[in-house]
This record gives sequence, structure tokens and C-alpha cells, in this order.
Amino acid sequence: MITVQGLTKRFGSKFAVANLSFDVHEARVTGFLGPNGSGKSTTMRCMLGLDRADAGQSLFSGKPYQQLDRPLHQVGALLDAGYVHPGRSGRNHLRWLAASNGLPTSRVDESLATVGLTEVGSKRVKTYSLGMKQRLGLAGVLLGDPHTIILDEPANGLDPEGIRWIRDVLVYLASQGKTILVSSHLLSEMALMANSLVVIGKGQLIEQCSVDDFVSRYGDHWVRVKSPRAGTLVEALQAGGATVQPLDESTIEVRGPSAAEVGELAARYQVTLHELSQQTGSLEDAFLKATAAVQEYTAGGVR
Amino acid sequence: MINTLRSEWIKLRTVRMNAVLAIIAVAFPLVITVLTALLIDSDSMDARNLIGLVTGTSVITGMLLGVIGASSITGEFGFNTIRPTFAATPKRSRVLVAKAILTIVVGIVVEAAMVALCYGIGSAILNGRGGDVAWSDAGNGRSALVGIVCFAGIVSLLGFGLGMLIRSTPAAIAVLILWPLVAEGLIGALLAVAGVEHPFKWLPYNAGINLGNPDAQTSADSLGQVAGGLYFLVVSLAVCAVGAWSTMTRDA
Repeated sequence: MITVQGLTKRFGSKFAVANLSFDVHEARVTGFLGPNGSGKSTTMRCMLGLDRADAGQSLFSGKPYQQLDRPLHQVGALLDAGYVHPGRSGRNHLRWLAASNGLPTSRVDESLATVGLTEVGSKRVKTYSLGMKQRLGLAGVLLGDPHTIILDEPANGLDPEGIRWIRDVLVYLASQGKTILVSSHLLSEMALMANSLVVIGKGQLIEQCSVDDFVSRYGDHWVRVKSPRAGTLVEALQAGGATVQPLDESTIEVRGPSAAEVGELAARYQVTLHELSQQTGSLEDAFLKATAAVQEYTAGGVR
Repeated sequence: MINTLRSEWIKLRTVRMNAVLAIIAVAFPLVITVLTALLIDSDSMDARNLIGLVTGTSVITGMLLGVIGASSITGEFGFNTIRPTFAATPKRSRVLVAKAILTIVVGIVVEAAMVALCYGIGSAILNGRGGDVAWSDAGNGRSALVGIVCFAGIVSLLGFGLGMLIRSTPAAIAVLILWPLVAEGLIGALLAVAGVEHPFKWLPYNAGINLGNPDAQTSADSLGQVAGGLYFLVVSLAVCAVGAWSTMTRDA
């Protein structure tokens, strides 16, 4: 389990992370979300002691990272796939990492095989694609078979097969009881693999909850109705104060009443229904709504 | 600590530039020595002359070894591998001590190998051409060979210290090379103009290079061989201490 308590990091007078507290639990994938510049990467660096926090602490199973003996056995972290010497081979990169924590060279070969880089392990990293570097970084994470894994944008540069692979790996590792904190801008992927979310903006906690709760709280909800007598139903719904948006002659979206209420109203007016379904907005919609007030950079409209 | 040393050793020898620099560091004085031994009148060169040639050319070796020392840490900052390094070994002091040990050992071993090769091959060529180069005639020149090996170890350490402090490979190398070539000359000249007596005596590189000069005596304008070397070591250790403090307190 990871416990972050009152973490604060300032660069000059600007607060990158401000009194941030959250927990990351075992046996689940916890998504770490926030707009660009919200402090996700800084938080992760502070958690690992790479950036010196001005206040607060991060504990890994009750211990600060700096006090972990041979940390690769306990925490595997990938902050950036580019943190490799381009002139060194992938295998040698893993060898020095393994040696630093007393891991045998056999673990290097096993990790390379796990991420599918055995054949290119002896090639210099500068010949790797971004996706291959991500895989190499993940091999480094898996070296010590840690119980806690921290990944910053691990899907960057991966092809669809790679993205699916990493999703499957993380879900599998979580099912084995590991603690996983992963940041990503691919919200559709996050929706598929994360159980919990920590959402931050401008260095502060916005929400920590399950994905379902987050979407339920911030996402849009409506009822989709299909009927040959949609017009009759629209009048009845509007008379009851519902907001109705026709999609075509027979299909409408209704905001306000629940699906059950729409169904009962249709029965009262003897309107035949071909479809009646509760719709919920995506994680992306919920995220944008939750972080609308803390977006650091906002794009202008396309003309 | 053993794990950290092993890890840093893998890093040091898996970067091609370090191997290239080490080869040049050995090859350059060796080529000069061989050419000199082949072309010079063999009777005009005895053991002390040969040692003078070896210690003179090996200053280049020392500087190249200093570059290896500097790039062993600046490369980490340049490619951001310092982050996985400190993530794998959170006790930063352990990493820095391991790097310093390896830097000094590599500096001393490469320099010693170069000195042995140059003297051995040079004396063999000269003796083969009818000269009379005998180790027994080397006299206090032997202390110069030991001194220049120590000098290489200290320059390597200085390079590492500058690397920690400056973090940029080109800037650290520029300071390491330009300091003795340009800065000390300018500072000494300015101090002389300002009326300071014996201004070069306390300039670190100027003092340290006495390690390769067996005739350097402690006097009004020189610290001598041993004291000069010790003074250079103290200055290099001070640079390392400041660099280590900077690396341990700043964000990685």
C-alpha cells in the first residue's frame, strides 16, 4: 500500500504539488489522472525521493522510499522510457539495474523475455522505437518482482497491441495482489483497466474514488428511447419538465427522469417502445467536467 | 556497497566513449614514446630522459581520464539515467562514493598500465638500438612515475567532482581542460601584476603537476613534489565535497 500524506513541492514561488494526500491500495489498478501540468509526474518523483518534497511524505508499506533496502524488490517504477543511455544495449541497461539491487543476471533475461525484447536486447537503445523503450522500461520495473508498481504514461508510443498488452499485464498483476499506480492520458484505456482513481488538478486532490463512482458523480446521465410514436412521448416528457433531444424521427434522448419513469410514462400514454436504455457518459467526459476549473492549458476552438 | 560498485562498473564499461577515451589515453603517449625511441639518437637517452618523456606525455592521459571521471556523472544527468540510478539506490551517497572509487581506480590502473607500457616498450626499443636504458639508473625518476600515476587518479577525481558540480558534459570537460591550460596562467599573471609573490605556488594544477617532477623541491615558489600533490588532492576533494553536497540536496 502507498500512503501519500500532505505532499508539497514548490518550484520557486509556484506550487507544483500542494498538500496532496491519497492512498493507493493493494490488488487494484489505481489510475492517477490530471490535466497537463497538474503535478502528476512531480508527485511521482517526490514519492521516489528523486525530487525533494518541501513538506509531507510518501510511505510504501509504512516506509519512506529512501529507507527501503534494495527497493527494486519492493517498488518498480517507470517514470519515463527515455531515461536510458542511448549508447548502452537494452540488456546492459537492465544488467546495471539488476546489479544495483543484487538481482541475478538471469532475471534480466527473464524480464526481457516477458516484454518481448529478447531478440533486440543486445542492440543499443538508440536503435529502439519509443514503444520498444517503453517495453524496456517495463522490463526494468519487473526485474525485482516488486509488490508495488508506479508507472507514468506507460502506454506512450505503444501500438494497439502494446497498449492491450500493458493493460492485460497490469490487470493481471493487480489480480495477484500487487499495488499499482499508473498515470495515463488514454482515458479509454484507464476506464478499461483501473479500479480506482486519484484525480488531481493544480497539484491538489480533486477526487479519490472508484472509477464507477467518479463517472457516476461527474459523468452525464440520460435515457435513450426509441419509439414509432416518439412525438407523443416528447410532448408528455416536456410537460413533465424533462429535457428532450430528438436524434431522428423515432429516437430521442431524455435528461431528467430515470429510465423507469420514462417507461411508466410511456405505458400511461400507451406508447410502444422499441428501446429504453439508461446511458452514462464516458470517463473522459467525467474527467473533463471534474477538471474544467483546474485546466492549466486550454485550447482555442478550431475555425 | 558491493552491489552499487558492480552496477557502476557495468555502467562505466558499457559506454563506448569511455573505452575510446581509455584507448586514446594509453595510445597517445605510447605512440609518442615509440616514435621518439625509434627516431632519437639512442645514446642520447637514458632512463631518466625516458621517464621524463613518459611523465610529460602522460599529462594528456591524466586529462583524458579526468574526462572519463566527469562524464561518468554528467552522462547520468545528460541522459536522465540519474533518476533510475537514484531510484534503484536511494542512498545517493552510496552511488557517489561508488562512482568516486571506480573513477580513481580506473584512473590509476589505466595510467599505471600506460606508464608501464611506455617505459617498457621505450626502453626495449632504445636498448635494441644500442642504447643503455637501465631501470637501476632511474634514480628518483621512479618517484616521478609513481607521482604521475597518483596525478592521474587525482585528476580523475577532480573531473568527477566538476561533473557533480556542473552537471553538463561539455561544460565540465571545458573547465577541466581550460583550467590548467588557460585559467591558471591568467590568474597567476594577474596575481603577479597585482604584486602577489610566487603566485603560481598555490594554483592547484600547477602544484599537482609537480607529482611528475622528481626534482621539484619545496621552496618559496613551489610546494614541491609530495606537498604539491597533497595540496592538489585536497583541492580536488573539496570540489568533490561541494559537488556531492549539491547532488545530494538538489532534485535529481
